Amino acid sequence: MNLDPLLLWIENTALSKWLVESPSLLAFPTVLILHAIGMGFAAGIAVMFDLRVLGVAPHVPFAAMRRLFTVLWAGFWLNAASGLLLLWAYPTKALTNPVFYLKLVLIAVGMVLVARMSRDVLRDADRQVGLTAPQTASTRLRRLAILSMVCWAGAVTAGRLLAYTYHRLTQAEIF
Amino acid sequence: MDLHALQVALVKGIYAHSPVADLMHTRWGWPIAESLHFIGLCLLVGCVGTFDLRLLGLGRTAPIAAVHRLIPFGILGFVINATSGLMFLLTEPEQYIYNPSFHFKVLFLMIGGLNAGTFYLTSYRQLFGPEASLDAPFRAKVIATVSLCSWMCVIVGGRLLTFFRPGICDGVQNALLLTCAP
Repeated sequence: MNLDPLLLWIENTALSKWLVESPSLLAFPTVLILHAIGMGFAAGIAVMFDLRVLGVAPHVPFAAMRRLFTVLWAGFWLNAASGLLLLWAYPTKALTNPVFYLKLVLIAVGMVLVARMSRDVLRDADRQVGLTAPQTASTRLRRLAILSMVCWAGAVTAGRLLAYTYHRLTQAEIF
Repeated sequence: MDLHALQVALVKGIYAHSPVADLMHTRWGWPIAESLHFIGLCLLVGCVGTFDLRLLGLGRTAPIAAVHRLIPFGILGFVINATSGLMFLLTEPEQYIYNPSFHFKVLFLMIGGLNAGTFYLTSYRQLFGPEASLDAPFRAKVIATVSLCSWMCVIVGGRLLTFFRPGICDGVQNALLLTCAP
Protein backbone atom coordinates (compact mmCIF):
# COMPACT_ATOMS: atom_id res chain seq x y z
CA MET A 1 0.00 0.00 0.00
CA ASN A 2 1.40 3.38 -0.98
CA LEU A 3 0.86 5.90 1.80
CA ASP A 4 2.73 8.74 0.12
CA PRO A 5 -0.28 10.69 -1.26
CA LEU A 6 -1.93 10.59 2.18
CA LEU A 7 1.28 11.65 3.94
CA LEU A 8 1.78 14.47 1.45
CA TRP A 9 -1.78 15.66 2.05
CA ILE A 10 -1.26 15.64 5.84
CA GLU A 11 2.00 17.57 5.54
CA ASN A 12 0.24 20.24 3.49
CA THR A 13 -2.58 20.82 5.97
CA ALA A 14 -2.52 24.12 7.83
CA LEU A 15 -2.22 22.33 11.19
CA SER A 16 0.83 20.33 10.11
CA LYS A 17 2.52 23.40 8.65
CA TRP A 18 1.80 25.42 11.79
CA LEU A 19 3.24 22.69 14.05
CA VAL A 20 6.41 22.38 11.98
CA GLU A 21 7.04 25.98 10.96
CA SER A 22 5.69 28.16 13.77
CA PRO A 23 8.46 29.79 15.83
CA SER A 24 6.04 29.92 18.78
CA LEU A 25 6.90 27.91 21.89
CA LEU A 26 3.17 27.10 22.00
CA ALA A 27 3.44 25.04 18.80
CA PHE A 28 5.80 22.05 18.55
CA PRO A 29 7.68 22.60 21.86
CA THR A 30 4.48 22.61 23.94
CA VAL A 31 3.26 19.40 22.31
CA LEU A 32 6.64 17.78 23.10
CA ILE A 33 6.43 18.94 26.72
CA LEU A 34 2.89 17.57 27.13
CA HIS A 35 4.03 14.27 25.60
CA ALA A 36 6.88 14.00 28.15
CA ILE A 37 4.63 14.86 31.11
CA GLY A 38 1.94 12.40 29.97
CA MET A 39 4.65 9.75 29.61
CA GLY A 40 5.83 10.35 33.17
CA PHE A 41 2.34 9.88 34.58
CA ALA A 42 1.20 7.00 32.33
CA ALA A 43 4.37 4.86 32.25
CA GLY A 44 5.51 6.02 35.69
CA ILE A 45 2.30 5.17 37.53
CA ALA A 46 1.99 1.90 35.60
CA VAL A 47 5.45 0.92 36.88
CA MET A 48 4.54 1.98 40.45
CA PHE A 49 1.48 -0.30 40.19
CA ASP A 50 3.70 -3.13 38.88
CA LEU A 51 6.04 -2.64 41.85
CA ARG A 52 3.07 -2.76 44.24
CA VAL A 53 1.91 -6.02 42.61
CA LEU A 54 5.44 -7.41 42.99
CA GLY A 55 5.28 -6.77 46.73
CA VAL A 56 6.83 -3.32 47.22
CA ALA A 57 4.65 -1.23 49.59
CA PRO A 58 2.49 -4.23 50.62
CA HIS A 59 0.39 -2.18 53.05
CA VAL A 60 -1.08 -0.06 50.25
CA PRO A 61 -4.57 -1.53 49.68
CA PHE A 62 -5.27 -2.10 45.99
CA ALA A 63 -8.64 -0.38 46.42
CA ALA A 64 -6.78 2.82 47.35
CA MET A 65 -5.15 2.84 43.90
CA ARG A 66 -8.45 3.25 42.07
CA ARG A 67 -8.08 7.01 41.58
CA LEU A 68 -4.41 6.61 40.72
CA PHE A 69 -5.49 4.53 37.73
CA THR A 70 -7.63 7.50 36.65
CA VAL A 71 -4.50 9.69 36.70
CA LEU A 72 -2.65 7.01 34.71
CA TRP A 73 -5.43 6.96 32.07
CA ALA A 74 -5.43 10.77 31.96
CA GLY A 75 -1.69 10.61 31.17
CA PHE A 76 -2.40 8.03 28.49
CA TRP A 77 -5.10 10.14 26.79
CA LEU A 78 -2.93 13.25 27.03
CA ASN A 79 -0.26 11.29 25.17
CA ALA A 80 -2.66 9.83 22.64
CA ALA A 81 -3.70 13.42 21.79
CA SER A 82 -0.22 14.98 21.85
CA GLY A 83 1.15 11.93 20.01
CA LEU A 84 -1.44 12.40 17.24
CA LEU A 85 -0.30 16.01 16.90
CA LEU A 86 3.36 14.94 16.67
CA LEU A 87 2.33 12.37 14.06
CA TRP A 88 0.38 15.04 12.16
CA ALA A 89 3.49 17.26 12.16
CA TYR A 90 5.87 14.57 10.83
CA PRO A 91 3.76 11.68 9.43
CA THR A 92 6.42 10.44 6.98
CA LYS A 93 9.11 10.39 9.64
CA ALA A 94 7.02 8.16 11.93
CA LEU A 95 5.10 5.94 9.53
CA THR A 96 8.12 4.91 7.42
CA ASN A 97 10.04 3.83 10.55
CA PRO A 98 9.46 0.26 11.88
CA VAL A 99 10.54 1.42 15.36
CA PHE A 100 7.40 3.61 15.49
CA TYR A 101 5.16 0.55 15.04
CA LEU A 102 7.17 -1.32 17.69
CA LYS A 103 6.55 1.59 20.08
CA LEU A 104 2.77 1.51 19.39
CA VAL A 105 2.62 -2.25 19.97
CA LEU A 106 4.53 -1.98 23.26
CA ILE A 107 2.21 0.81 24.48
CA ALA A 108 -0.87 -1.19 23.44
CA VAL A 109 0.35 -4.27 25.34
CA GLY A 110 1.28 -2.08 28.33
CA MET A 111 -2.18 -0.48 28.48
CA VAL A 112 -4.02 -3.80 28.00
CA LEU A 113 -1.98 -5.15 30.93
CA VAL A 114 -2.84 -2.09 33.06
CA ALA A 115 -6.54 -2.49 32.24
CA ARG A 116 -6.66 -6.22 32.99
CA MET A 117 -4.42 -6.18 36.06
CA SER A 118 -6.19 -3.20 37.64
CA ARG A 119 -9.58 -4.82 36.99
CA ASP A 120 -8.37 -8.03 38.67
CA VAL A 121 -6.90 -6.41 41.78
CA LEU A 122 -9.88 -4.07 42.24
CA ARG A 123 -12.34 -6.96 41.95
CA ASP A 124 -10.37 -8.91 44.57
CA ALA A 125 -10.05 -5.77 46.71
CA ASP A 126 -13.83 -5.31 46.73
CA ARG A 127 -14.16 -8.82 48.18
CA GLN A 128 -11.62 -8.02 50.90
CA VAL A 129 -13.19 -4.82 52.21
CA GLY A 130 -12.38 -4.41 55.88
CA LEU A 131 -9.25 -6.54 55.80
CA THR A 132 -6.18 -4.68 57.00
CA ALA A 133 -3.61 -7.41 56.39
CA PRO A 134 -1.19 -6.74 53.53
CA GLN A 135 -2.63 -7.91 50.22
CA THR A 136 -0.47 -10.04 47.99
CA ALA A 137 -0.95 -10.64 44.27
CA SER A 138 -1.07 -14.01 42.53
CA THR A 139 1.95 -15.46 40.74
CA ARG A 140 0.15 -14.85 37.43
CA LEU A 141 -0.25 -11.14 38.23
CA ARG A 142 3.37 -10.88 39.31
CA ARG A 143 4.49 -12.30 35.97
CA LEU A 144 2.27 -9.81 34.14
CA ALA A 145 3.76 -6.99 36.25
CA ILE A 146 7.26 -7.93 35.07
CA LEU A 147 6.04 -8.09 31.46
CA SER A 148 4.42 -4.67 31.94
CA MET A 149 7.66 -3.08 33.17
CA VAL A 150 9.55 -4.57 30.20
CA CYS A 151 6.90 -3.12 27.83
CA TRP A 152 7.14 0.38 29.34
CA ALA A 153 10.95 0.42 29.32
CA GLY A 154 10.79 -0.76 25.70
CA ALA A 155 8.14 1.78 24.69
CA VAL A 156 10.09 4.68 26.21
CA THR A 157 13.34 3.50 24.59
CA ALA A 158 11.66 3.00 21.20
CA GLY A 159 10.15 6.48 21.46
CA ARG A 160 13.52 8.04 22.18
CA LEU A 161 15.22 6.12 19.36
CA LEU A 162 12.72 7.49 16.80
CA ALA A 163 14.95 10.55 16.53
CA TYR A 164 17.90 8.34 15.50
CA THR A 165 16.32 5.65 13.32
CA TYR A 166 14.09 7.41 10.77
CA HIS A 167 14.86 7.16 7.06
CA ARG A 168 12.72 9.95 5.60
CA LEU A 169 11.74 13.15 7.39
CA THR A 170 9.08 14.48 4.98
CA GLN A 171 7.57 13.84 1.55
CA ALA A 172 9.28 16.98 0.25
CA GLU A 173 12.55 15.05 0.20
CA ILE A 174 11.46 12.91 -2.74
CA PHE A 175 9.28 15.31 -4.71
CA MET B 1 32.43 35.96 42.06
CA ASP B 2 32.03 36.49 38.35
CA LEU B 3 29.48 33.95 37.17
CA HIS B 4 30.35 34.49 33.50
CA ALA B 5 34.00 33.59 34.18
CA LEU B 6 32.87 30.55 36.14
CA GLN B 7 30.74 29.38 33.20
CA VAL B 8 33.64 29.84 30.76
CA ALA B 9 36.04 28.01 33.10
CA LEU B 10 33.56 25.12 33.50
CA VAL B 11 33.18 24.69 29.75
CA LYS B 12 36.96 24.83 29.21
CA GLY B 13 37.67 22.46 32.07
CA ILE B 14 35.11 19.93 30.88
CA TYR B 15 36.35 20.01 27.29
CA ALA B 16 39.91 19.48 28.54
CA HIS B 17 39.20 16.64 30.96
CA SER B 18 35.88 14.99 30.06
CA PRO B 19 36.13 11.28 30.86
CA VAL B 20 33.00 10.27 28.94
CA ALA B 21 33.01 12.26 25.67
CA ASP B 22 34.57 9.45 23.63
CA LEU B 23 32.01 6.95 24.89
CA MET B 24 29.12 9.36 24.23
CA HIS B 25 30.35 10.05 20.69
CA THR B 26 30.06 6.38 19.67
CA ARG B 27 27.10 5.52 17.42
CA TRP B 28 24.70 4.53 20.21
CA GLY B 29 26.27 6.26 23.23
CA TRP B 30 24.09 9.36 23.18
CA PRO B 31 20.79 7.62 22.22
CA ILE B 32 21.20 5.00 24.96
CA ALA B 33 21.95 7.69 27.58
CA GLU B 34 18.84 9.58 26.40
CA SER B 35 16.68 6.47 26.68
CA LEU B 36 17.93 5.90 30.22
CA HIS B 37 17.22 9.57 31.00
CA PHE B 38 13.59 9.13 29.94
CA ILE B 39 13.21 5.83 31.83
CA GLY B 40 14.57 7.57 34.93
CA LEU B 41 12.07 10.40 34.33
CA CYS B 42 9.21 7.87 34.39
CA LEU B 43 10.43 6.33 37.65
CA LEU B 44 10.86 9.75 39.27
CA VAL B 45 7.58 11.26 38.09
CA GLY B 46 5.62 8.06 38.70
CA CYS B 47 6.95 7.82 42.24
CA VAL B 48 6.89 11.50 43.20
CA GLY B 49 3.49 11.90 41.51
CA THR B 50 2.00 8.94 43.38
CA PHE B 51 3.35 10.11 46.74
CA ASP B 52 2.48 13.81 46.28
CA LEU B 53 -1.03 13.01 45.09
CA ARG B 54 -1.43 10.80 48.17
CA LEU B 55 -0.35 13.69 50.42
CA LEU B 56 -2.97 15.80 48.63
CA GLY B 57 -5.60 13.19 49.52
CA LEU B 58 -5.78 10.87 46.50
CA GLY B 59 -6.40 7.29 47.68
CA ARG B 60 -6.49 8.31 51.34
CA THR B 61 -7.25 4.79 52.63
CA ALA B 62 -3.59 3.95 51.99
CA PRO B 63 -1.42 4.94 54.98
CA ILE B 64 1.09 7.60 53.89
CA ALA B 65 3.98 5.60 55.35
CA ALA B 66 2.89 2.59 53.24
CA VAL B 67 2.96 4.63 50.01
CA HIS B 68 6.35 6.00 51.06
CA ARG B 69 7.84 2.51 50.53
CA LEU B 70 7.88 3.35 46.79
CA ILE B 71 10.28 6.28 47.33
CA PRO B 72 13.54 4.26 46.82
CA PHE B 73 12.44 3.70 43.21
CA GLY B 74 11.99 7.44 42.73
CA ILE B 75 15.48 7.93 44.12
CA LEU B 76 16.72 5.25 41.70
CA GLY B 77 15.15 7.27 38.87
CA PHE B 78 16.86 10.41 40.14
CA VAL B 79 20.24 8.67 40.30
CA ILE B 80 19.81 7.29 36.75
CA ASN B 81 18.99 10.80 35.55
CA ALA B 82 21.74 12.56 37.47
CA THR B 83 24.24 10.09 35.96
CA SER B 84 22.96 10.23 32.38
CA GLY B 85 22.45 14.00 32.67
CA LEU B 86 26.03 14.46 33.83
CA MET B 87 27.17 12.43 30.82
CA PHE B 88 25.41 14.88 28.46
CA LEU B 89 26.91 17.82 30.32
CA LEU B 90 30.42 16.34 30.27
CA THR B 91 30.17 15.72 26.52
CA GLU B 92 28.65 18.97 25.20
CA PRO B 93 29.23 21.48 28.05
CA GLU B 94 28.60 24.54 25.84
CA GLN B 95 25.13 23.29 24.93
CA TYR B 96 24.12 23.28 28.61
CA ILE B 97 26.22 25.79 30.54
CA TYR B 98 25.16 28.65 28.23
CA ASN B 99 21.59 27.42 27.62
CA PRO B 100 18.86 29.49 29.40
CA SER B 101 16.57 26.46 29.36
CA PHE B 102 19.24 24.51 31.27
CA HIS B 103 19.49 27.35 33.82
CA PHE B 104 15.71 27.11 34.26
CA LYS B 105 15.94 23.34 34.66
CA VAL B 106 18.72 23.49 37.28
CA LEU B 107 16.83 26.21 39.19
CA PHE B 108 13.78 23.95 39.52
CA LEU B 109 15.96 20.92 40.32
CA MET B 110 17.28 22.91 43.28
CA ILE B 111 13.78 24.02 44.30
CA GLY B 112 12.57 20.41 44.04
CA GLY B 113 15.52 19.19 46.11
CA LEU B 114 15.18 21.84 48.84
CA ASN B 115 11.43 21.24 48.91
CA ALA B 116 11.93 17.49 49.46
CA GLY B 117 14.43 18.27 52.22
CA THR B 118 11.89 20.60 53.85
CA PHE B 119 9.34 17.79 53.79
CA TYR B 120 11.55 15.42 55.74
CA LEU B 121 12.66 18.12 58.19
CA THR B 122 9.15 19.38 58.98
CA SER B 123 6.65 16.59 58.41
CA TYR B 124 8.47 13.31 58.89
CA ARG B 125 7.52 12.76 62.53
CA GLN B 126 3.85 13.64 62.05
CA LEU B 127 3.41 11.37 59.03
CA PHE B 128 5.51 8.38 60.03
CA GLY B 129 5.26 8.33 63.81
CA PRO B 130 3.10 5.91 65.83
CA GLU B 131 0.07 8.22 65.85
CA ALA B 132 0.26 9.15 62.17
CA SER B 133 -2.99 10.37 60.67
CA LEU B 134 -4.41 9.46 57.24
CA ASP B 135 -4.65 13.16 56.41
CA ALA B 136 -1.47 15.07 55.70
CA PRO B 137 -1.19 18.45 57.47
CA PHE B 138 -1.72 21.58 55.35
CA ARG B 139 2.03 22.25 55.33
CA ALA B 140 2.72 18.86 53.73
CA LYS B 141 0.06 19.54 51.10
CA VAL B 142 1.76 22.80 50.18
CA ILE B 143 5.07 20.93 49.88
CA ALA B 144 3.41 18.27 47.69
CA THR B 145 2.02 20.96 45.37
CA VAL B 146 5.41 22.70 45.12
CA SER B 147 7.00 19.32 44.43
CA LEU B 148 4.61 18.42 41.58
CA CYS B 149 5.03 21.88 40.01
CA SER B 150 8.82 21.96 40.29
CA TRP B 151 9.36 18.48 38.76
CA MET B 152 6.99 19.47 35.96
CA CYS B 153 9.13 22.60 35.40
CA VAL B 154 12.25 20.39 35.30
CA ILE B 155 10.64 18.46 32.43
CA VAL B 156 9.72 21.72 30.67
CA GLY B 157 13.31 22.98 30.97
CA GLY B 158 14.70 19.68 29.72
CA ARG B 159 12.37 19.43 26.77
CA LEU B 160 13.04 23.04 25.71
CA LEU B 161 16.86 22.65 25.69
CA THR B 162 17.02 22.11 21.94
CA PHE B 163 14.93 25.24 21.26
CA PHE B 164 17.35 27.48 23.19
CA ARG B 165 20.67 26.30 21.78
CA PRO B 166 23.20 29.05 22.62
CA GLY B 167 24.87 30.88 19.75
CA ILE B 168 28.05 32.94 19.69
CA CYS B 169 27.97 36.09 21.86
CA ASP B 170 27.45 39.40 20.11
CA GLY B 171 28.32 42.55 22.07
CA VAL B 172 28.48 43.10 25.83
CA GLN B 173 26.60 40.59 28.02
CA ASN B 174 24.97 42.12 31.10
CA ALA B 175 22.67 39.31 32.24
CA LEU B 176 23.43 37.40 35.45
CA LEU B 177 24.38 34.29 33.46
CA LEU B 178 25.86 34.00 29.97
CA THR B 179 23.34 32.64 27.47
CA CYS B 180 25.75 32.54 24.53
CA ALA B 181 29.24 31.19 23.91
CA PRO B 182 31.88 33.96 24.17
